[in-house]
Amino acid sequence: MENRKIIIDPVTRIEGHAKITIDLDENGKVEDAKIHVTQYRGFEKFCEGRIYTEMPAITARTCGICPVSHVIASTKAIDEILCITPPQAGINIRKIINLAQIVQSHALNFFHLSSPDFIYGFDAPKEDRNIFKMMQTHPQMARDGINLRAFGQKIIEELAGKRIHPTGIVAGGVEHKIEQSQKEAILSQIPDMMKIAQGELEFFKTNLHKFQKEIDAFATFPSLFMALSNEERTLEHYDGELCFMDSEGNILKDKIRAQDYREFIGEAVEEDSYLKSPYYKPLGYENGMYRVGALARLNIAQSCGTPLADEELKKFKTLGGGKPVLNSFYYHYARLIEIIYAIEKIEELLNDDETMSENVKVTSKISNLRGVGCSEAPRGTLFHDYQVTKEGIITAVNLIIATGNNNLAMNAGVKQTAIAFVDSKSITDGALNRVEAVIRCFDPCLSCSTHALGIVSSKIEVRDHNKKVIQVIDRN
Amino acid sequence: MRVIIGYGSSIRGEDAFGLDVIKELQNSPLKETKLISAHQLTPEMVLELQDADEIVFIDSCHDEKNPYALACSLREQSTLNLSHHISPKTIIYMLKNLYAKNPHFYIYSMMSSNFESTTHNKRYKEAIRVVSEHLLHSFK
Repeated sequence: MENRKIIIDPVTRIEGHAKITIDLDENGKVEDAKIHVTQYRGFEKFCEGRIYTEMPAITARTCGICPVSHVIASTKAIDEILCITPPQAGINIRKIINLAQIVQSHALNFFHLSSPDFIYGFDAPKEDRNIFKMMQTHPQMARDGINLRAFGQKIIEELAGKRIHPTGIVAGGVEHKIEQSQKEAILSQIPDMMKIAQGELEFFKTNLHKFQKEIDAFATFPSLFMALSNEERTLEHYDGELCFMDSEGNILKDKIRAQDYREFIGEAVEEDSYLKSPYYKPLGYENGMYRVGALARLNIAQSCGTPLADEELKKFKTLGGGKPVLNSFYYHYARLIEIIYAIEKIEELLNDDETMSENVKVTSKISNLRGVGCSEAPRGTLFHDYQVTKEGIITAVNLIIATGNNNLAMNAGVKQTAIAFVDSKSITDGALNRVEAVIRCFDPCLSCSTHALGIVSSKIEVRDHNKKVIQVIDRN
Repeated sequence: MRVIIGYGSSIRGEDAFGLDVIKELQNSPLKETKLISAHQLTPEMVLELQDADEIVFIDSCHDEKNPYALACSLREQSTLNLSHHISPKTIIYMLKNLYAKNPHFYIYSMMSSNFESTTHNKRYKEAIRVVSEHLLHSFK
């Protein structure tokens, strides 16, 4: 039997464009499976030559879902170039906006992209596994999703100027203070939003028993985890330094300053995808596979620091039996806990007197010729690394995007899931849906993550169906 | 109440058509009309549209063959995909199924082959004028 290849193209219900290939061996068993990101953006290159003040506005355009994360990482990088620390009010407002984005982005994944699988099951007819069917059978759940997203988007609009590609977060802080009326409007919605968030977490937990096969096979393996972490090891999205934890729960390295990330993170380029593959350098490529995002953050955090989220975190941590939770299916669970945390934290920050201060921004001139900004985006740790001339012209940019950090783990997860569910004698739609669904666990934002001009391979190998190299094209 | 939504990217050439029509209408004597400019249509937008009896969507639609033609495009990216960017039909579907609202709706699309800049400024402005005046005439 000749080798056969199954291609899922495009992958649905994710942000951006990708395809998956599954290679079968001579006996029809899954030999390999990969996700190929087919978009090309080029942000790192075309930012060169721009003035540094434009970077937040330019890099926000990387994404329509998480532009706030890019603006925050970008302005943090510029803060470093200017050698300034924003006033506490400016920092708190940035944090509120970032948490609002986490609410709306996590709500998008849960309600609009993933919930059809939870409601109807992975084997349901594909015509039913979509938001339109959900609106018919579970209208309240659909309305809840809309309300939660609207809550997050409205905060971003109010405090940062626009829902998409906001301009109110700037180097040195934010443009505008919070008005009392804005504070009261946001606080008035907190009880309803918390009720929705807790209700959906309960729905998810109640239905978890139906998905044991998926929990066991969706990217369930040992890996490292990376996230920002603070001194108290409470859940962190803005401050803190980088921390790597292994699958046993040992801290491999912590207190890594953002500007030192290159010592610990390598970025490999594969020939079949525009998405780079970051890895933990001390363990080498592939052995240094790590995961980021909500699952990693909850594994690394010892507590959330807010009461309701802490109650849920305790239950969540029992899944790992005292060790990190290794099942990527639980990314969904972790995101729902983070929504609760974000709502609580927004309330806490709004009630902090310092947040309401008039003093929200400082300015300065260029002091450093390099700045690295790091923040926790909904999907994981995000890096913006800029080099500038003393006149402020950008000479080099490196971006490591949350989704990119998960690339090795997503690929390993696709292969694991394909081996578990794909039978070449009878390839079902449900099996292929699961192969896509393992990617949705990571909630990848592929539009974001293909920002770079990939390193063009100098050689192209043409292989036949037996993977034998039959032609080599040397670009040099 | 009537809502007119112009949507598109302000920095992507003729994709800004809907936004520019809204700018044109801002100083016009339209009664009981709410004007909305948006980068894209998003699910939570339905909350702002719940009270609308009539909704007008204005956008730019990619078409290589008939630039500046005015038409009604119902093209869907995918009926099974719903993420942060949704179509007018999906908005209407959501209003109907989730909020029991059934507004009349109209779609004005300008065909464009250029989402990087404006190819023919005169023809672009003429398209804005035609749509604006049509709306003013229809809803005065």
